[in-house]
Amino acid sequence: MFDFLIQGFGVALSPLNLGLAFLGALLGTLFGALPGIGPINGIAILMPLAYTLGLPAESALILLAGIYTGAEYGGRMSSILLNVPGDAGAVMTTLDGYPLAKKGLAGPALGLSAVSSFVGATIAIIGLTLFAPLLAKVAVMFGPAEFFALMVFAFSSMAVMMGKDPIKTGIGAVLGVLIAMVGVDSGTGVLRYTFGMAELYDGIDFVVMIIGLFAISEILLMLEHANRPDSENEEIPPLGRVFVTLKEVLYCKGAMLRSGLIGFIIGVLPGTGASVAGAVSYTTEKRLSDKDGTFGHGDMRGLAAPESANNAAAAGSFVPMLTLGIPGSGTTAVLLGALMLYNITPGPMMFTERPEVAGGLIASLYIGNVVLLALNLPLAGVFAKVLTVPRWVLVPAIAILAFVGVYQLHSDLMAIYLMLIIGVFGYLLRKLGFSLAPVILGYVLGGLMEQNLRRALSISGGDVDILWQSGISLGLWIAAAALLVLPWLVPKLLPDNKPQENVEDD
Amino acid sequence: MKIAADRLLGFALIGLAAFVAVQAINLEVPFNYEPVGPRAFPLGLAILLAALSLALVFKPGPDGHWPHGALALKLLLVLGLLLVYTMLFTRLGFIPTTFMVVAALAWLFDATWGKALIAGALMAVGSFVLFTEALGIALPTGYWLSAIT
Repeated sequence: MFDFLIQGFGVALSPLNLGLAFLGALLGTLFGALPGIGPINGIAILMPLAYTLGLPAESALILLAGIYTGAEYGGRMSSILLNVPGDAGAVMTTLDGYPLAKKGLAGPALGLSAVSSFVGATIAIIGLTLFAPLLAKVAVMFGPAEFFALMVFAFSSMAVMMGKDPIKTGIGAVLGVLIAMVGVDSGTGVLRYTFGMAELYDGIDFVVMIIGLFAISEILLMLEHANRPDSENEEIPPLGRVFVTLKEVLYCKGAMLRSGLIGFIIGVLPGTGASVAGAVSYTTEKRLSDKDGTFGHGDMRGLAAPESANNAAAAGSFVPMLTLGIPGSGTTAVLLGALMLYNITPGPMMFTERPEVAGGLIASLYIGNVVLLALNLPLAGVFAKVLTVPRWVLVPAIAILAFVGVYQLHSDLMAIYLMLIIGVFGYLLRKLGFSLAPVILGYVLGGLMEQNLRRALSISGGDVDILWQSGISLGLWIAAAALLVLPWLVPKLLPDNKPQENVEDD
Repeated sequence: MKIAADRLLGFALIGLAAFVAVQAINLEVPFNYEPVGPRAFPLGLAILLAALSLALVFKPGPDGHWPHGALALKLLLVLGLLLVYTMLFTRLGFIPTTFMVVAALAWLFDATWGKALIAGALMAVGSFVLFTEALGIALPTGYWLSAIT
């Protein structure tokens, strides 16, 4: 049953791939730690450059996975040291991480966060190894109707779980799907929304889309952060002793293990990623172990819980991506798009047809995880220095990487203009309170969603009943409906409870 | 009715939904062997988008902080710089364009002129060497260089 993993370790342990896992972890940590960049922007900026290296698919994927896990880790530095979460997943990390740093325990806090990340990610990778092949076996039975229902489920769970405003999450996803509609319709060859421009016939390119949406909009946003008065006193607290003691780690072991499991389960659900996992694990841990009211004032368990959970969720979101082709988060959506650049469509067949890719990726996650721990424990002080890179160095560097990244793929100025337009669009969306993750998920899933719907209705000859005829798809429709209705219904049925609390836990 | 950013957005998106729908209806499909053509899915999306936008019009969120004054001007300058970068990228070549744009961007992000010029020179030459030598990316050298040599 684990043949793919043995084969995968054979692939991942080749000197080239081992080096790439190391390089990815290093670059990812650096980019994730850079102020204002965060994991998803880091991957978006580095991905086209990884593409130019001309690597075979499994090596490129190993590099990207290293960047991904590294960036998720590096993003925690600014949460702990500066109280500025690098992305939504790191918000909970600030609650106890920053107070610890203020107490002069910044070094141990960084070390503990590295260890909890390692524990959480390890739990989730073991879960991935066990469940992905099983889920792939179930997913082989999925037809177009089931896939369509699954995507509806993914979007509704995203609308409920992601971001504060379900309406804006929904609008963001629809806009993403609409952007995916541009270009030649694969079924009939009809041109849609191209406005007669030949450059748009192939649709809006993935690299142009993510670089514009994330990197360019980030440059524009940074201008405002630079002018905000509170950005002046960004001083890194002294790290203190660099190593976390075994006693401290053991003190948090319960929090780490519980949160790792919670994070994995939440990560597996499509559409819900690290941010939800961090929040749920923190509230759970607080309820279970906060006897003296120390949570929020620098309790180590309050740092270990969300760190373990959001790294577990990051690895857990590979389960739906690898087995079903449905990304579990915005960042995995970017990874999924990267895979498609290599003509690999993740899905149930990947475990049988391209075991070296599926196995290599999972094996490299094990390796990357160890590499990250080995890198981050001794080098935390070095990485912390990255936080002090001034914006006037950072912003031009992002601009160069963005321009070269798009230019080398297309050698076409139209692509760069399009990137700038998408960047302004992304900036406006972010200013209006939208999260970009639903947009990118909609963009990646939109084409697949339409294809599956049309294929399903072709099979049935136009009879829409096929969409909910099988048990699997009916179950998914009911689950999707329940997700949309429950958060609204449950507080009304339980009038005695505080409504704001139980929405999150159910 | 109060004017809020979300209301304006809601109306703009309803307009977008209408545009998407009209475009979809006007698609000319010469042949189609499937029960569902290329029109249905965008039409469905347009309806969904209109419904969600309507909800936004009736329940707008807080406005947020929008840049104004000097900051808005700076924002436009940064955008303008990126446009100039695009226009001159192939004409002048990577190194001179990057030097100018990096220096100007660094200055806009509060570096002194001296620091900005040094950053421009180092980044332009450094990234050129990195991209062409280490990563094997062909970058434009500019028309003027080929005209001289």
